[in-house]
Amino acid sequence: MKNLRNVAVVGFAQQPVVSRDEHRTTHEMLYPTVRQALADCGVDRDAIEYQVAGSTDYMDGRPFGFVMALDVMGSWPPRQDLHLEMDAAFAAYYAWVRLQTGECDTAMVVGYGKTSEGDPNRILNLQLDPYYQAPIGLDPTSTAALQASAYMARTGITDSDLAAVAARNRAAGARNPDSQVREATTAAELQKTPWAVEPLRTGYLPPVGESATCLILAAEGKAEKMCDRPVWIHGVDHRAEMQTLGARDLSRSASTQLAAEKALAMAGMRRANEADVAELLTPTPSEELIVCEALGLAPLGLAPLGLAPEGSRPAINPSGGALCAHPIMMTGLIRLGEVFRQLSGRAGARAVPNARRGIAHVTQGHCLQHNMVWVLGSERRWS
Amino acid sequence: MKRPVAVVGVGQTHHASRRADVNIAGLVREAVDCALLDAGLEHKDIDAVVIGKAPDMLEGVMQPEQFLVGALGAHMKPMLRVHTAGSVGASTALTAVTHIASGLYDRVLSVAFEKQSEGNVMWVTSPNLPFTPPLVAGAGGFFAPYCRAYIRKTNCPPHIGPVTAANARDNATRNEYAHLREPVTVEDVMNSPYLWEPIRYLETCPSSDGACALIVASEEVAKKGPRKPAWIKSGYSYAEAMWVPGRDQVSPLAGRICAKAVYDKAGITDPWKQIDTAEIYVPFAWFEAMWLENLGFCDVGEGWKIIDRGEQKFGAHLPINPSGGVLCTNPIGASGMLRLGEAALQVMGRADAHQVEGAKTALGHAYGGGAQYFAMWIVSSER
Repeated sequence: MKNLRNVAVVGFAQQPVVSRDEHRTTHEMLYPTVRQALADCGVDRDAIEYQVAGSTDYMDGRPFGFVMALDVMGSWPPRQDLHLEMDAAFAAYYAWVRLQTGECDTAMVVGYGKTSEGDPNRILNLQLDPYYQAPIGLDPTSTAALQASAYMARTGITDSDLAAVAARNRAAGARNPDSQVREATTAAELQKTPWAVEPLRTGYLPPVGESATCLILAAEGKAEKMCDRPVWIHGVDHRAEMQTLGARDLSRSASTQLAAEKALAMAGMRRANEADVAELLTPTPSEELIVCEALGLAPLGLAPLGLAPEGSRPAINPSGGALCAHPIMMTGLIRLGEVFRQLSGRAGARAVPNARRGIAHVTQGHCLQHNMVWVLGSERRWS
Repeated sequence: MKRPVAVVGVGQTHHASRRADVNIAGLVREAVDCALLDAGLEHKDIDAVVIGKAPDMLEGVMQPEQFLVGALGAHMKPMLRVHTAGSVGASTALTAVTHIASGLYDRVLSVAFEKQSEGNVMWVTSPNLPFTPPLVAGAGGFFAPYCRAYIRKTNCPPHIGPVTAANARDNATRNEYAHLREPVTVEDVMNSPYLWEPIRYLETCPSSDGACALIVASEEVAKKGPRKPAWIKSGYSYAEAMWVPGRDQVSPLAGRICAKAVYDKAGITDPWKQIDTAEIYVPFAWFEAMWLENLGFCDVGEGWKIIDRGEQKFGAHLPINPSGGVLCTNPIGASGMLRLGEAALQVMGRADAHQVEGAKTALGHAYGGGAQYFAMWIVSSER
């Protein structure tokens, strides 16, 4: 790859995901998160040269919601700054691009939002085009159900397969103190839950959750001073697809596949299954299987890795994944944070033994419209 | 920046209070097509897309870039969505510049738009601030006290706002794309009613439908293009917190720091002498005098004197907003990009009837939030 800088994740902090933080505003949740991430890196705010935020006005229920975050991010004196109306993982991507210019060596990325203050299903309907798709009342559950049907029709997997994937995530979520759903359950129990929208059961969907997140990036030279075990970015790429549901093969994720090819090539890796751990932004079991297939983690249409025996590599969503905690606009950054925790020895009871390389997948929009793939490692990529 | 970056294509729509002939996608596509044609490029040549707009509530579509992927030609490409309030058009272009400067991309399309006729601008620009009674007075109600503070601080005489507004409208008569192209006299402005004292009706920007697209590229691409590019000498975006005791809201520190950063990088020590023309973000007439000071063209208290002497007029020493600026055309999200694009057109020598003779160095500027977000670039005819 052409003269890329070694850049590492050196710190990550999040509030435990909860259904509703009754006592704090979104910015009151963000402030201690920023302070904790900085403290973990052993630096003060002035050591950070660039800041990027990811959030959306619609989840905040008001225009310009992100402006107030400037104060709690420590934007005095004035800072070089950007805000993306996207999951904060995309903000992390832009921070990485910015670090590649050599104009700065450190960056802070924040994601926040009080998901509980609205009804995400109704709000996310408004992401769909206002002429054809939004007016018929589609919401993320119904579009995910359409996608699940398409995948089941192509591959022949059944309701019990979806239940098994959900149960595996639930078992993992029980080991993650930051997760929202922390009760393991069996596939058989999940199969008794009612349809949300057939073929998705309520047991296969995440609850509404909220949090606040902060990730710190640093270039080689600074990274080693800010973190005992920096986690280096080996490759990253993202791709968007047309939104129109009828214009895509919903049973596949072409943009995940392309992003994975590019990110793996940048990382100098032949296959995604060379990784030890993968954190995927897949709130439903069917999305997890589609993404696994697109990443090359399962032979096309065959036994999905989501059902592989415990101990298989890469471990998929050892955090419990988005199915157990889905704070919208942060779930992607948490994937990156979780891979950082796994590769830097900070994953506690959910640690994947001897994890050295990891993949973080991030998505945005209905039916996996826009996907990003990160490859991270415990060693520097370029020498 | 790691390597030189140039503007190789500029496109904008005709702006109007209601572009009933196009929907949102059609409006965006109009600007994109113009920019591609201008650059002699096709969609397949574009590596990545960066899109920006102000609050999604202006049109009522959450993250509309997701349904605009087709219109943007972004299918299977990286796409980022920026939102930094009023400065967003400028920070979107700068985000694209970073993509090129990093060495990761060679041709990036940046697009900004607003279709304000779809919603209620007064409501959207009246955000609910914590511990503050809602004014529902729009941006004018928010900024009127800033203008009043400026007038009081500098003994700015009462005719400066009207003179600025009349000059902007005179400039717009030479810009075929401008929204308001009918000239008004100083007396007309004086006789128009106060909307938010001291801001009169004719000292206020219109509400427009419009879009702008800029294609930025590496040096190798720029040298092969059909036209002379505009070279980006420097570009920065800075933001500052809102609740800082003693914060100077009339001449915000973030604006002064950002201006110094772009001047230093571009080798400008005396902006009044070295800059040939400037496109600056003036939504309410009084802000022209305020920004002349904030941008370091003169000392504090001297900004209105430049206007009083007529040195900012077309054909005078430092033509300000030869396009007519925001006072004549304001599709909010696009307004910042229009400033940067107009600055580029000037140094390319392609501003047609509003071309500033011999313009070699130009400033493009935008601001947003509660005068907290600043984004600027310096463009030059010389590499």
